[in-house]
Amino acid sequence: MRDHLFALSICLTAGAVLPAAETLPADHAQRMTRGIETFQKDIAPLLKAHCLKCHGADATKGDFDIATRVDLLRGSHNGPVVVAFDAAKSVLIEVVNHAKEPNMPKDKPKLPADAISKLTSWINDGAPYAEPLIAGRKPKRDPSKVTDEDRQWWSFLPLKMAKPLSATQGAAKIDEMLLAKAKAKGLTFNPPAEPATLVRRMYLDLTGIPPTPEELQSTIKNPASNIQKLLDSARFGERWARHWLDVARFAESTGFEQDYDRPFAFHYRDFVIKALNSDMPYDQFVKWQLAGDEYEPTNPLALAATGFLGAGVFPSQITANEVERTRYDAMDDMLSTTGAGLLGLSVGCARCHDNKYDPIPARDYYQMLSTFTTTTRMNVDVWPDKVTSAITTKKAKDKDTPPQKDATRMMICGEGYDPIVMHTQGGPFFDQTFFLKRGNPDLKDGEAKQGFLQIFARPGDEKRWQWSPPEGAKYSGRRRTLSNWITDVDRGAGALLARVIVNRLWQHHFGTGIVSTPNDFGKTGNAPTQPALLDWLASQLIANGWKMKPIHQMILLSKAYQQSTQRDAAKEAADPANELFMYRKPQRLEGEAIRDSMLAVSGVLDETMFGPGTRDENSKRRSIYFNIKRSQLIGSMVAFDAPEPLVSQGARPTTTVAPQALILMNSPQARVWAESLAKRVSDVSDVGQRIKDVYLICFSRAPRADEITSGKAFIESQRSSYEAEKKSNAEALAMADYCQVLLGLNEFVYVN
Amino acid sequence: MNTHPFSRRDLLQRAGGGFGALALSALLEGKGHAASSLNPFAPKVPMQIGGKAKSVIWIFTNGGPSQVDTWDYKPELQKRDGKPLDGFDPKTGFFPGSVGPLMASPFKFAQHGQSGTWASELFPQTSRHVDKMCFIHSCWTGSNNHSPALFMMNTGATRMGYPCVGSWVTYGLGSESDSLPSFVVMSDPKNRGLPKGSASNWGAGFLPSVYQGTWLKPSGKPIDNLDAPSSLTPQRQRAQLDLLAKLNRSALAASPIESELNARIESFELAYRMQTAAPEAFDVANEPEHIKKLYGLDKPHCAHFSAQCLMARRMVERGVRFIQLYSGGMENQQSWDGHNDIIGNHTGFAAESDQPVAALLTDLEQRGLLDQTLVIWGGEFGRLPISQKAAKPGRDHNPHAFTVWMAGGGVRGGYHHGETDEVGFKSVIDRVSVHDLHATILAAAGLDHEKLTFKFQGLDQRLTGVESPRVVKQVFG
Repeated sequence: MRDHLFALSICLTAGAVLPAAETLPADHAQRMTRGIETFQKDIAPLLKAHCLKCHGADATKGDFDIATRVDLLRGSHNGPVVVAFDAAKSVLIEVVNHAKEPNMPKDKPKLPADAISKLTSWINDGAPYAEPLIAGRKPKRDPSKVTDEDRQWWSFLPLKMAKPLSATQGAAKIDEMLLAKAKAKGLTFNPPAEPATLVRRMYLDLTGIPPTPEELQSTIKNPASNIQKLLDSARFGERWARHWLDVARFAESTGFEQDYDRPFAFHYRDFVIKALNSDMPYDQFVKWQLAGDEYEPTNPLALAATGFLGAGVFPSQITANEVERTRYDAMDDMLSTTGAGLLGLSVGCARCHDNKYDPIPARDYYQMLSTFTTTTRMNVDVWPDKVTSAITTKKAKDKDTPPQKDATRMMICGEGYDPIVMHTQGGPFFDQTFFLKRGNPDLKDGEAKQGFLQIFARPGDEKRWQWSPPEGAKYSGRRRTLSNWITDVDRGAGALLARVIVNRLWQHHFGTGIVSTPNDFGKTGNAPTQPALLDWLASQLIANGWKMKPIHQMILLSKAYQQSTQRDAAKEAADPANELFMYRKPQRLEGEAIRDSMLAVSGVLDETMFGPGTRDENSKRRSIYFNIKRSQLIGSMVAFDAPEPLVSQGARPTTTVAPQALILMNSPQARVWAESLAKRVSDVSDVGQRIKDVYLICFSRAPRADEITSGKAFIESQRSSYEAEKKSNAEALAMADYCQVLLGLNEFVYVN
Repeated sequence: MNTHPFSRRDLLQRAGGGFGALALSALLEGKGHAASSLNPFAPKVPMQIGGKAKSVIWIFTNGGPSQVDTWDYKPELQKRDGKPLDGFDPKTGFFPGSVGPLMASPFKFAQHGQSGTWASELFPQTSRHVDKMCFIHSCWTGSNNHSPALFMMNTGATRMGYPCVGSWVTYGLGSESDSLPSFVVMSDPKNRGLPKGSASNWGAGFLPSVYQGTWLKPSGKPIDNLDAPSSLTPQRQRAQLDLLAKLNRSALAASPIESELNARIESFELAYRMQTAAPEAFDVANEPEHIKKLYGLDKPHCAHFSAQCLMARRMVERGVRFIQLYSGGMENQQSWDGHNDIIGNHTGFAAESDQPVAALLTDLEQRGLLDQTLVIWGGEFGRLPISQKAAKPGRDHNPHAFTVWMAGGGVRGGYHHGETDEVGFKSVIDRVSVHDLHATILAAAGLDHEKLTFKFQGLDQRLTGVESPRVVKQVFG
């Protein structure tokens, strides 16, 4: 009996998760005692034989877990399944009686009447457990609550702040921290890369274009002294903005049925380039993307920044019964991108249910979602000191009328101007956002007022972030409030915000982030390989006023960055995943950088910055200026793993497939650029010298003797082949054939 | 094929932003396959017993054919012609203002085959195969609008951006061909447009982009960059590739990513082979006359679809894993979307596909390929049993019921699964959701929909979602 009483006390304590309204029957103690006996004798064997396999042991179908009483009473994703002391209200009894779908046990014969009757009495006795059905099983975390224990997850912890260090000091600190960890395995850095290799690495990394022979010549003596110049070059923003545009799922069309162009969306891309080039502090970069219009209502750059929220897909044809769901989808797109892109959290997962892994209850989701209740895409005409709605907003036809005199038309995403309207049988937004059960707009559960993730917000803190717009403003202030929370290092999400962005910087400099799942810093992501270093970098970012160029400097000056890619079998064996960063793996350039490099070495690159893009593959501008239409993505970019711009993407896969080779072998562009490259050295009469010149242009090095030999033999053989066909320009054609080979080499597309 | 396009670790770490493919490779390991499959297209072993289909041909009847005018015979509807449909919600279809009364099918129905299957006169030739076909009459979907419904049918989600069935199957099974794309999509070649949402219907979503469908351009060269620049004869291009391989190899051993670099050398060889293999696979001109006749290549009204069905068979023979073939263009009169003039609309699209589809079934069977090829026929939703008012009445969209048939790939011929109500408005008996249908298609290919997962945004994502859909086991007899 002692055991029973002990179990009883546990069960009643666990009763804290029962719905608040539950009142215990007066004789509950007797009933529970009786129930425990039934549990041990009949119910536990019954549940184990017929239910547990799918509901707690091998699987948790329908999110219904019966291993412990707490889990049993929490119910399924459809709501309560067992109501303690009330079998009549328990869905379980209905489904085992086959009075309701899904009939249980699934695809098996109905339980005997006797078993059902025992279950019924047991539930009426409070459904007590003597012990979990699986030995040692603890009730699952209640995903609708956020506890202090949840806040102990590494990426949610506060940052230890540090004093800002100079770039050199910072680099030394990075190396020191990495070495400290590598010591345990007896590893140390590879030797430094050859200066020419390092110069090339820095150019490709920071500008996406290899150094010219002249640039190589002038910097080879001291590659490190050139870092600032590269960071200050306009090419830097064009290179690094492309990384951010993946995170921002940036495209310039609506997607869905008609995939209408968004002809004024390119201003967002230009904003990112300008912001990165001017080293806009990252907290401001974030604030403007969420609420630029609420910070500086007439500043074109701040307005353009809000394109971040508006870059997602949106249907162009919406039937009456889809209007509301579509609106929730649109807000979800804004919130999910904010969550994954800025905080590395799958906030969007909490749309249909409390996030099972991370402490993000569905309540938090809807409270955050309500930030965007009245936020829509709008085309506006912008003057230096004035903004108006674009002339007409009927049926997405703003593009048909020119901007008003002296104005720039841009697509922004905010509040207060005329929303862009699609073919819809409803309005552009609703005045309120509701809590939805299972994400279903037909299952509303009260209005959701703005709030934030409880992990980073405690009761009473809201006032810290609350911002009320001035009288008569066009906007609600909710997005600026959100941006205050997300950048607040002390009480809000700022520490995580900093961790996520420094990890992205590291990732693009090294090929892999310290957290290799850059959009997932939660429980389903990978743990940081160098947690102390990541935190330290985040604190340096903040200490440097959120400026990112000092962080780039530190990283590029480190031995870790500058070491060679030389192979060391022992090291690879000791650290195959390179989590210690004691060697470097060559990285394949992205499609954009491959194409830009081809244009650059061919001498035909058009350096015009900004403005509307094009989808013409023959364009000679940098690839970031391709217009991105979702239904007509640029073939050569997609072939080299450019993602579909639908959701935030933190890392691209690197695949090697035949269509990439076909582009280099057969595309008109590859051929024309090879011909241009050949033309650059056509004045040089000596074939050997020509080979040396193109090697220097393409690979920042001189060819080896065997490379010259095989090059000469190839050119000679191709030339005679063309001559046999009486081609007048056999020499030039042969040289173009050769240059095309060089542009296809691994060495051209991999950064050593 | 020995290529190593990405190492397992790379796939795990970099794909999508999560532990891409971990679940799958773990499964393969469970099957006794070492982690040797570095190539994303390496043929993989099915995950469950019973799946016979090695290839899938999905004839996607775009726009939503009317079930009550094709394969779901409703005598009661014939009787109640002109009567109102009580309790009908005018928002069910797309045009709430054009709601008419119940409309009998204007097409004659008759019974066919041993199974006594009722079929309308629209498909005189395909109807001869009813004993090979398995009909699911109780399909239903969640959207009454083309593009969300297309996304639902293709990707299992009404929102844009999820991987489609073909991508999942290719991801799960790999490719049997070393010189052709593993997943090919053909759209209407008669300038009637693409299905709404176009490429998103065959996108790989969060799966690595190598699994996306290769869309064959309906005019001009079907695949980009298959032809060498004019100056490069095969010999000269071969010389280029030889030099490329030689120079690439010299730097190989010294690199910590030797296998990745090696894969790149291989990819050029594969590309070189593809230049001849792909046009050969797509070229129906060299088929014998009796085959061309069988498919109807000699008949102007259906020749375009005949050619595509014949190409599909040629691709199946050459190891292409998944082929999707759209019947019809975008919407309204450009596809099976018979809002107006259901008679003219359905007569036209049935006429251009009936003989080619029947020929495909005949041809696959006579070559012994039907058992290992799952042929699917169906669209994104059905049509209402009531009329959509117009001079020549049509039928509006109906998400509540439609028929999909399958043949080959081990499905049970002549079997009819599920039922709609007496007028064919709603699926009522043994309802089959799109996720159920997807689970069944995967099962036919030997893939367990619960185990075919990909980690993305922190979750083990799958084609069939979280609602525990079920395989329609009866389909396999």
